[in-house]
Amino acid sequence: MPNPYLPLSVKVERISIENDARDLKTFDLAFGDAGARKSFHFTPGQFGFLSILGVGEAPFGIASAPSEETIKYTVKRVGTFTTALHELEPGASIGMRGPWGNSYPFELMKGKDIVIVSGGFSFTTLRSTIVYLLDPSRRSQFGKLTVVYGARSAGELLYKDEIKAWESSPDLSLRLCVDRLDGAPWPETEGLVPNVLKQVAPSAANAVALVCGPPVMIRFTHPVLELLGFKPENVFLSLENRMKCGIGKCGHCNVGPKYVCKDGPVFSYKELLRLPTEY
Amino acid sequence: MTQRIVTAADLDKLVAGWAKSGAVYAPVEVKDWTEFRRIVSLAETDLTRVNTKLSARGLLFPHCETMFRFEASRPDKAQEADEPETQVVLGVRSCDAAGIAVLDKFFSGQGETDTYYQRRRDRTTLVGLSCHAPADTCFCSAVGGSPTGTRGLDLLLTDLGGRYLAEPLTDKGAALVKDMPEASASDLAKKAELADRAEAAITERIDTRKLKGLLDTADGNPIWEELSLPCVNCGACTFVCPTCHCFDITDETRKGKGARIRVWDTCQSCTYSQHASGHNPRLAPSARFRNRTMDKFRYTVDQVGEVSCVGCGRCIRECPAGIDICETVERLMLALVK
Repeated sequence: MPNPYLPLSVKVERISIENDARDLKTFDLAFGDAGARKSFHFTPGQFGFLSILGVGEAPFGIASAPSEETIKYTVKRVGTFTTALHELEPGASIGMRGPWGNSYPFELMKGKDIVIVSGGFSFTTLRSTIVYLLDPSRRSQFGKLTVVYGARSAGELLYKDEIKAWESSPDLSLRLCVDRLDGAPWPETEGLVPNVLKQVAPSAANAVALVCGPPVMIRFTHPVLELLGFKPENVFLSLENRMKCGIGKCGHCNVGPKYVCKDGPVFSYKELLRLPTEY
Repeated sequence: MTQRIVTAADLDKLVAGWAKSGAVYAPVEVKDWTEFRRIVSLAETDLTRVNTKLSARGLLFPHCETMFRFEASRPDKAQEADEPETQVVLGVRSCDAAGIAVLDKFFSGQGETDTYYQRRRDRTTLVGLSCHAPADTCFCSAVGGSPTGTRGLDLLLTDLGGRYLAEPLTDKGAALVKDMPEASASDLAKKAELADRAEAAITERIDTRKLKGLLDTADGNPIWEELSLPCVNCGACTFVCPTCHCFDITDETRKGKGARIRVWDTCQSCTYSQHASGHNPRLAPSARFRNRTMDKFRYTVDQVGEVSCVGCGRCIRECPAGIDICETVERLMLALVK
């Protein structure tokens, strides 16, 4: 039986700086052999652990879609491990283990309209989701796709080239917003994500909402979704809690009887209403 | 399986034999307490006392364990740590064995199998010892156990006075005593009598049958503030608990060589749930106190199908603030039925 704690060796192929503050970098990772990439099956919403032996490891949501060749993670520099990661040069070898956790509920989403609401650098697994849903082989299985994505300022939005292209795509309706317009030519909408969501007002009829963002955004987004008619069982959130193992053993990420790593990270709002708000 | 009789002299010989082919651990007197230590002869043990300072869990899930090693010059290449030795653990009380049965469910009974736990478990034989005189903090019978419970064990010994009744529970246990003489009907009767007496001696009581429905709505109850007031969140209760399984993973490097290790952790520590951003979902000391109590009596019912308190009483004995978990549960239930 494979040891789930043993990281697989991956190579950092590309490192891209994502934001003006330069504390968000995207790492494109490649496996040494094609077989290892093939056996790394994941679904958008899942996460993996990145590992630098001697420094430690930490969990991050997978930002690439399963169809993409490299495995992509966007990481904010906040502590010892992420600082070490940010100091790497392309070509470095690091460890990765996973994929762990459940995913967004794609079976349930089939045939329904999808509303994606995201703020700041939490957009990672939702980028994975959007690329996955836009795949020509899959797009017709889902209804209308509406995305509201915001950040403090234009420079803090992730994946700028890609989202610019999505703005003019007929396959989705994307509304980008910033907390305060600072003279930048793009995007055009000023406003906090929950308020912009209220203006966009996607229909809740036969629709599912996926929400990921900082706690304050989530707190103010729920009432808007409720107002729009979304039932708690059709709203899904991706949680992040401190974790060490990723497989439901170490205890750290529990929210009541649920482990974010094993039972989540995606939970319906209906499930969360029954749990202590420890996330 | 055939029940057998092992005299003290035979047990001495058996222990010496087990110690030749692997490790043997048993309770050994250390100052005014006992703890599981490696032995080579029965004379080193103290099998009379209830109960060891720490449970037997550390022999399967060590306080500190090397997961794998690496060299600083090859930071992407992990070398797996050595395989553990085979071991016989002698003198495991029924509560501790039940605790190991709960750990089995966490570590290998669901989802991914924990490699490090499972490979020790596979190499371990658990030889239990019935309790004749439970401590005043014991309450195994209130949480589904018994002073002579066999759950989790390979072999149960009951001291009949200079000789032991040996009840094999698995093939591994039977093999240990296969050459010993069979027990008589009067030996079995004597054991039954001792078992009844031990059960009757247990005074701590909580009624866990009523708990599940009641605790469904207990998380938000204001009573936790009051119940947790004396608690200093030191975590002693979690370190002595036979079913606590939380751990931290950390890397240590020295002179170019390093290891990824895991160490016991406690949900009572304020950094336990702290995010990298500084946000802490369980910052309040009362929230951490509630988490531990609810985990033992409610959360694990969802997770592994049972209450994960085995009634060993160690958390009551070791708590520097004098908190009694039975009293906590009793006061909680009173608040919930109000």
